[in-house]
Formats: sequence, structure tokens, C-alpha cells
Amino acid sequence: MLEIAGLSVRYGKHLALDDVALKVGRGEIVVMLGANGAGKSSLLKAVGGMVKREPGASIRLAGTELAGLPAHRIVGAGLALVPEGRGVFGELTVRENLALGAFPHRGRAAEADNFERVQNLFPRLRERLDQAVRTMSGGEQQMVAVGRALMSAPAILLLDEPSLGLSPLMCKELFQALARIRDDGTGVLLVEQNARQSLAIGDRGYLLEGGRVVGSGSAAALGADPAVRAAYLGVAHGEAA
Amino acid sequence: MLIVDVLLAGFTLGGMYALIAMGLTLQYGVARIMNLSYGEVLVMSAFGTWFAVTRLDWNPVAVLLASLPLGYLASWLIYRVLMMPLVRRSGAGPALEVDSILATFGLLFLLQGVLLLAFGGNYYSYSYLSQPVDILGSQVAANRLVVLGFAAAIGLGLYLLLTRSRLGTAVRAVAVAPRFAPLVGIDVWRLSAIAFGIGGALVAGGGTLLSMFLPFSATMGVVFAMKALVVVIMGGVGNLLGCLVAGLMLGFAETLVARFVDPGLTLAVNFALFLLVLLLRPAGLFGRVAR
Repeated sequence: MLEIAGLSVRYGKHLALDDVALKVGRGEIVVMLGANGAGKSSLLKAVGGMVKREPGASIRLAGTELAGLPAHRIVGAGLALVPEGRGVFGELTVRENLALGAFPHRGRAAEADNFERVQNLFPRLRERLDQAVRTMSGGEQQMVAVGRALMSAPAILLLDEPSLGLSPLMCKELFQALARIRDDGTGVLLVEQNARQSLAIGDRGYLLEGGRVVGSGSAAALGADPAVRAAYLGVAHGEAA
Repeated sequence: MLIVDVLLAGFTLGGMYALIAMGLTLQYGVARIMNLSYGEVLVMSAFGTWFAVTRLDWNPVAVLLASLPLGYLASWLIYRVLMMPLVRRSGAGPALEVDSILATFGLLFLLQGVLLLAFGGNYYSYSYLSQPVDILGSQVAANRLVVLGFAAAIGLGLYLLLTRSRLGTAVRAVAVAPRFAPLVGIDVWRLSAIAFGIGGALVAGGGTLLSMFLPFSATMGVVFAMKALVVVIMGGVGNLLGCLVAGLMLGFAETLVARFVDPGLTLAVNFALFLLVLLLRPAGLFGRVAR
């Protein structure tokens, strides 16, 4: 579905992302693991068109090349990004944020259905439709951000650290929702510091180190790999899970 | 009755200020252009109306219906042709504010020069519905009631557009968080041009309304731009409700002072009120301090 190849990002002299290639299929959750500064956020921003890509990158969605498109056209092509820090319109209400999610044409046809779907996915939002998003908790704002992205009827959802700063309960609720989004047929590319929980719901994963992909495999295999466990799951070599 | 006199005069003047300031707050709060030539557009529209009414025999209300779309088109063009190079060059940085102030300062003198060349420095006016109407024992010129009615209708229309339509919601999204707007597929430059155009429609409509009840001259644009800016800052940049409240405050303050103290003090009272608001609420009446 989504096929990325030769993606590099440079900030001045610093090469933040070096020739990255990856795939996300229909209805699967792909987890991107990596330490701070490994280039995870740069990857999602580059895919979403929020930072400049080095020439030669290819970002194909269902066969259509997106690498040449400006940021505001990417979501209309079917790639919706939920950035780190959520990027919601805090002064606007939940309802208005969700309505703006359907601003791209691809979100208009099934707008009413998607609006219902988002409220079923996050019942908390149903009661707060007319509340200004800025006055809500971090977890609720994250729900608005994910819901807004879903309103554009994306083929692929890109999520950057969605669990950051959320309570354990909120976190669990959010990951359950992501699994349901996957089950509805949407592909999810998930960048997370919470490796344990994301590998638990993920189907496949990649390891990112110093801007390069250094490993990949099924979520189960990655979760069982001693090196991965040591680096990202906080489990020492040889220790039982 | 004195109180009806004061109320009507205050609402008419204040409503005009609010209307003109709403256009400026759209241009500054959404398109991020501090348009110093704003008042000149108002005066050009007033002269255009004068020409259509006295030479072409148009009804001023018909001119109003024409000046709204014309003002939109002219301002949209100003943004696309004159401002776009500055917007591109600045990225999303603070340089745009300085650049746009300099560019529109130049535009101010250009437009004013054209007006002076065409009309000279004298005051112009025409007579429209100037016969008095009796309201609760007060005599008031009918044209002021027409102006008040249209100012309210245009303001209400703008409010509905911004709060009830998807395009309007997108305009507000660009006002509060331009960085995030592309996430939902909003083309910030396209929306900025639209907001700048709507601002132009409001000020052109304001110019036509103004010409219905006040004499005007080629050089008075600056005064209105300044008052609009005062209202915008008093209300809180980008806030329509702030414009309405601050505009009415200013209109009533001027009316009361002119009536009971001395007409020469109106400008002084304007700025005293402005200073007082800024001392108490530095971000404006409805403004939020930027985080």
C-alpha cells in the first residue's frame, strides 16, 4: 500500500534520515522503534511533507507517487499525519476540529459515517463536541487528533508518539482504538517510545538507528529478540520476561 | 430624546468602526499582513461610490452590492500579486510583518496620490436619504439608520460565514495555528488570500456606507486605518467579538465626549481608552497571551 524508498532528510550538515525504505500494508500496524534522535519524527514529518526531503525519495501510495506534493496535498491523497504534540486547533471546538478533518475532498463523501465512527471509537468525544479542545486533557486531545485524521478517510495513518504524556489508562484506551482502526482496514505507521505496548498491538516493526533502518521483522520476533529487548524494552540480556 | 440621540449616534459610529476593524483583523490575524493602506481602500471605495451616485445616477445601496465583491477582488489581487513574493521570501517567519508594513506603507502613498490627483484635497459628499426620521421623539437622518442596518447585516453575515461554514472554520484554523493547517489539507496561502480578500470586501463596503452619511476627503484614510488598528488591538488581534465590543466602546466614547464635553477631544478620548485597555489587558479585551 505505502511504499517508501530512498528517503533522506538533512538539517544543514546533519543527515537525520539516511536512505530509508519501508512498507506499510492495508490493515496492518507497523511499529517504528528507535532511540531519541534516531530519526523517527523526521521520518514521519518527511513522509507528511512537513520537512524538506532530499531529492531521489519515493513515497508511493497504492501506486501513486506523493514525493512531489506539498504538505497540504498529502492528506488529500490518503496519508494522514498525527504529529508529535498532536497539532490540534486548541481554540476551536471538538466538532470544528473533526469537521476540518474532512476538509480534503476524500473526506467529504462519507463525512457523516466517519463522524459517527470517530465518536464510537472515542465515546468521550461524543459528550464534549462543543468544548474548546485547549481545555481538554492530553489524552482527550490525542483522541481529537486521531479522530480528526480519521475524518479524512485515510488509507494510511501516521502517528508520532501518540502515548507521550498520557496516563496508563488513556494509553490503553488509545492503543485499543488503534487496533480497531487497523481492523477496519486502515494501515498504521506508529512511532512510539512505548515499545512494549506498541509491539503488543503491532503486526510488524522496523528498527531505526542513526537515521538508518537497521532491522525489521514481525512484532512477535522483534519482541523476542534479546537485542531489541535490551535496547527498547528495558530487559537485560538473559533475564526472563 | 437625548438618550435615543446618543444611542443611535453611538451605535452607528461604533458599528462602522467595528465593521472596518473586522476586515483589518482578518487581514492581520489570518493573512499576517499589517495593511497600512487599509484606510486608502476605504476612501477609494467612498470616492467610487460618490462617482457612481453623482455621475452615473446609481442608488448607493446598489453601489454597496457592487463594492463588496469589487473590494474582495481588488484585495485578493493585492495579496496574490504584491504580497505573495514577500510571503514566499519570509517562509513563515517574522520578517513578513516588517516587509508587509513597508510594502503597504508604499501602497498607501501610491493610492493616496492617485486620489489627490483625481479629486484634490477637498471634502466630498452627496445627499442620500438625509430627511429626518422621528424615533421616540428624536430626529435622526434616515441614511444613518440605513448605514446601521447594513453594518449589522454585514457583520452578522461575516460571523455566520466564519462559524457555520467549513471554509470559515478553515479561516479560523489558519488564524489560530497556521503550522497545523496543512495537516487537514488546508492550503494556507490560498486561505490567506481569501481572508485578505474578505477583509477588502468589508472595508470597501465600509467606504460605501461611510459616504452615505459623512463627508470624506482623499487624505482621511490614515485616520480610519489608525482607528481600525486601535479597535483591533483593543479587542485582541484576530477576534471578531473583540472588534465589535471595542468598536462600539470607541463609537460611544466619541459620541458622548463630542456631545457633552468638546468635539475637539474625541481623538484624545480614543487614545486614553486605548491606553487604559492596554494597561489592564495587554493582549486586548478578548486576546489571549501567546504561549
